[in-house]
Amino acid sequence: MKTNTAGQKMCSLILLAAGIILLVGALIMDFSGSQSTLRGPMLVIGAVSFFVGLYFFPTLKHHRQIVYVIFLFPLLFTFAVTVIIPLLLGICYSFTDWTGIKFTQVVGFANYIAMFKDPAFIWSILITFIFVVMNMILVNVTAFLLALLCTSGLPGVGFFRASYFLPNLIGGIVLGYIWQFVFSNVLINITKISWLVQTKTALAAIVVVYIWQYAGYIMLIYVTGLTQIPGDVLEAAKIDGANARQTLFEVKIPMLASTFTICTFLTLTSAFKQFDVNMALTNGTGSVPNFMGNYLSNGTQMLALNIYNTAIAKNSYALGQAKAVLFFIILACVSLVQVRISNKREVEL
Amino acid sequence: MKKKVLALIMAGTMIFGLAACGEAAAPVADAGAAPADDAAPAGDASGEAAAPAASSGEGIRLVNGKIEVDAMLKEAAEKYTQETGVVVTIESMGGGVNIQDTLKGYYQADNMPDIFVCGSDADFDNWKGMLVDMSGEAWASDTDAAYKNDGGTVGFPYTTEAIGLAYNADILEKAGVDPKSITGPDAMKKAFETLDSKKDELGLTAVIGWCTEPKDLYWSTGSHSFANYIDSGLARDDTKYADMLADGGKIDETRFEHYAEMIGLFNQYSDPALLTSGTYDQQILGFASGKYAFVTQGSWIGATMTSDDADAYKEAGNFKCGMAPYAFEDGIDTILTNSPSWWAVFDNDNKADSLAFLQWLAGEEGQEILVKKAGFISPFKSCTFIADDPFAETISEYTAAGKTSSWHWLKNKSGLDQNALGQLYADYALGSIPDAKAFTSTVAQVLQQYYAE
Amino acid sequence: MEEGRMVGKAARIKRLILTIVGIIIAAYVLFPFYLVVLNSFKAQTSIVASPINWAGASFAQLKTNLSAVVNNSTFNFWYAFGTSLIITVVSLVLLALFGAMAAWVISRNNKKKWSTVIYMIFIASMIIPFQVVMLPLISTFRDVGKFIGISMLQSIPGIVFAYCGFGGAMTVFILTGFIKGIPYDLEEAAAIDGCSPEGTFFRIIFPLLKPVITTVTILNGMWIWNDYLLPSLMLGQNGRVKTLPVAVQAFVGSYVKQWDLILTAALLAIIPMIIIFLFAQRQIMNGMIEGAVKG
Repeated sequence: MKTNTAGQKMCSLILLAAGIILLVGALIMDFSGSQSTLRGPMLVIGAVSFFVGLYFFPTLKHHRQIVYVIFLFPLLFTFAVTVIIPLLLGICYSFTDWTGIKFTQVVGFANYIAMFKDPAFIWSILITFIFVVMNMILVNVTAFLLALLCTSGLPGVGFFRASYFLPNLIGGIVLGYIWQFVFSNVLINITKISWLVQTKTALAAIVVVYIWQYAGYIMLIYVTGLTQIPGDVLEAAKIDGANARQTLFEVKIPMLASTFTICTFLTLTSAFKQFDVNMALTNGTGSVPNFMGNYLSNGTQMLALNIYNTAIAKNSYALGQAKAVLFFIILACVSLVQVRISNKREVEL
Repeated sequence: MKKKVLALIMAGTMIFGLAACGEAAAPVADAGAAPADDAAPAGDASGEAAAPAASSGEGIRLVNGKIEVDAMLKEAAEKYTQETGVVVTIESMGGGVNIQDTLKGYYQADNMPDIFVCGSDADFDNWKGMLVDMSGEAWASDTDAAYKNDGGTVGFPYTTEAIGLAYNADILEKAGVDPKSITGPDAMKKAFETLDSKKDELGLTAVIGWCTEPKDLYWSTGSHSFANYIDSGLARDDTKYADMLADGGKIDETRFEHYAEMIGLFNQYSDPALLTSGTYDQQILGFASGKYAFVTQGSWIGATMTSDDADAYKEAGNFKCGMAPYAFEDGIDTILTNSPSWWAVFDNDNKADSLAFLQWLAGEEGQEILVKKAGFISPFKSCTFIADDPFAETISEYTAAGKTSSWHWLKNKSGLDQNALGQLYADYALGSIPDAKAFTSTVAQVLQQYYAE
Repeated sequence: MEEGRMVGKAARIKRLILTIVGIIIAAYVLFPFYLVVLNSFKAQTSIVASPINWAGASFAQLKTNLSAVVNNSTFNFWYAFGTSLIITVVSLVLLALFGAMAAWVISRNNKKKWSTVIYMIFIASMIIPFQVVMLPLISTFRDVGKFIGISMLQSIPGIVFAYCGFGGAMTVFILTGFIKGIPYDLEEAAAIDGCSPEGTFFRIIFPLLKPVITTVTILNGMWIWNDYLLPSLMLGQNGRVKTLPVAVQAFVGSYVKQWDLILTAALLAIIPMIIIFLFAQRQIMNGMIEGAVKG
């Protein structure tokens, strides 16, 4: 550890003092409503010099603690400002008439009641659940079959794996437009009517695109799982005279149980949060002639898009926020179930 | 010890909470510099070694809602910059973008443009108290088309547009169909049948280019086509059906069913490749290349035909265009004309620059570009330019004969086209709404529901 | 012997069939990419007329399309690309550095309550969907920006700050798991040699984290580079500062549906990712697997 010279002590104290003065000065300017452009940089320089001063603070005993604080601070701070504070505010806002800028009164559960009276929202929940379940099954089945293919020791397996994975690299917005072109300009020669126009086929289209994008990624996880099965286990199965199917169903699949759990929940949560592709592909259009006695024009609008449109497009921030809180609760429940299942499995093993 | 550290962290988080906000923003100087560096080539790309704007640093920004004239507006802006040094940025939106919502987002994000498009009463109401009253401007006394509300003259009119059943005059002539004969539903049907029977010989893909795609083209059906039910054949100030609609979403079912029968005719004779999933470009390109005898867009397509689609239009012989009334009932003999939307000036530090730019646009040089290049039909009395536009002639004929109606979709409830009607037209075209009667009753039901919300 | 050959033959046929199936699937998966590349070489008219064959494709048209897209003021490719690059790189560097620092403190104090609390909060926050924080996030950032006089919306620092916040939890989670596995003796030895705690971290621990930092950088990088919703909300759908996905969305919105330009724009947006993938295929795939298994 460095020696605590008087010079260092001076330096440290000066920096600390300067930091505090700048910070306080900037804050006073902020609170007094000053428009000076200096206040931002003042705040920044103040904070930095405070931390530098703190770092050089001549104490052997507490130096480790100081370092810990300085190390933890940046991430914790950004995390608090971007996640924790908005989360708490968001939950509060959902009980008010918030407009995105301000709120004038607390309305209790009015937003929550309003959203459950809205058939379009109920529809969104419904199709989101259907979509999630379908994806969970189809993506996992597809991915597992692809994984079997990719671990069967064929020539060119590396190429297959890379190309199946490729769509996962591309952002949802770009993907969505590419597929819109495919459906509306290419496949239309076969389907006559673009799949994106009618609600049922449009939902199927979203599922197809989703599998296309996601199965390659899930496949990779299954491939890892499959290659991690010890060779002697497979050898033993072979010696016992198990055929390929028996090996698959009685050896491989049971041994992959935890991989299945991981993949199931991975697809589940990501399907729930589906937004980009939904927006670029159909933007929620599609008609439902009669749902709870109403005509709906948001046939393919999933939950995440519904929240976005409620807040941003229809400018009902408080209602959108209430829907988002519900969305959060649903996802939290899903995650809790996942944790329970995983823990239980670990105990069993 | 443990408590001390915890307390320290807590104190640290609390006190420096705001401070490090700044910390993360520390690279602000660098970041500020980076876009500036990048902005320079962008300026070059637009052909302008952007002289630093004289008055207010950044110049002004205009959000335009007519994507078709993006290039021409940019040309005007460039010319203006050359003359005055004030940089004008044109930001064009169209297609699936809901402009008002985007603007609201801009407002939220402190990114308001200085001039922006507003197309309806509801649009202007969004910005109540935030717009500049332009009644004192020189151009305001030169036009009847400015938008006025209790905030004063808040909308700058930039063009006149027309909606009618646009036709390819050359093809109609070849087929022996006189457009003047289309005065009622039977005549229209007959014309369609005649054209359909001669499709191959005329080189037509379909009789009409009519598109009901709901995601991006909802405005074409839900606002423009629907306007014919509300206004066709009526006097300019007659708002009978618009008022009915505003009153809880009611429609005149007899009139609407007649209108619905005409839509059914369009569905039947449109290009199936276009009908439910086509795009605006595809629709106009089809008409410009002589593949459709009729098209259901308004006069603004003239600009697209003579710019983006100029090659195809030339190949098809630069045919003459005209407009017939949407005569879904006997006696309807008008086309619709109006100023489609207006430009409003946001009340901010740049407003002097914004007003000066609008005044320049209304003057000689501005009008020359807007009329001759963008194909706008000038709303200003003093303007002497005549648009070199395929539809300019037919519009002036109807105007001179007094055979025009106005349109009133401004009075429609906000989002009606996008959230309700657009989808219904698509359903009708797809056949999931089987006929005119069902279409009428569904529309009636949905409108009521939509206005009740 | 004869039987063996029979089995060998059957197996060969099976392998052949499997290979063909693999190729067919690969063709299906790659087909949309093929369409993007193909139609970038064509003008609107020939795209509409024949979207799947080479009729009407030419290099001259590709050049026309590229220059139309790159010079388009809404898309402004190089500017959007540069913005995306700056945001991604700066966020990744900061996340790796801050994440490692925080993870080290957390794992070296894992017997202490505060450390456990912080760790648990990070873990728990991973289930928070973006939708529930996005609206208050914007208003918070707007207010904070107005308050301190540094714009947090419409600015690169603001969005980097947000990515550090959102990426923090997953980064800390993965890094903490790894650091726990580094023997503590190493640090004690360094401390006895007179190394300060920060010196120990930067000289001994940080270099050891290289593989796991690669993993988090890949995971965060794919997310940040492709993210649409956060930048579209923070920067505006068509604001002054645009990332690549936001620019694509703004471009498509404004150009009604000019497929020649849209597909060329898509091509430009895809190419950087594909190039990186070709060079770092193994690292990316392994990183994604590790991230999934650990997350």
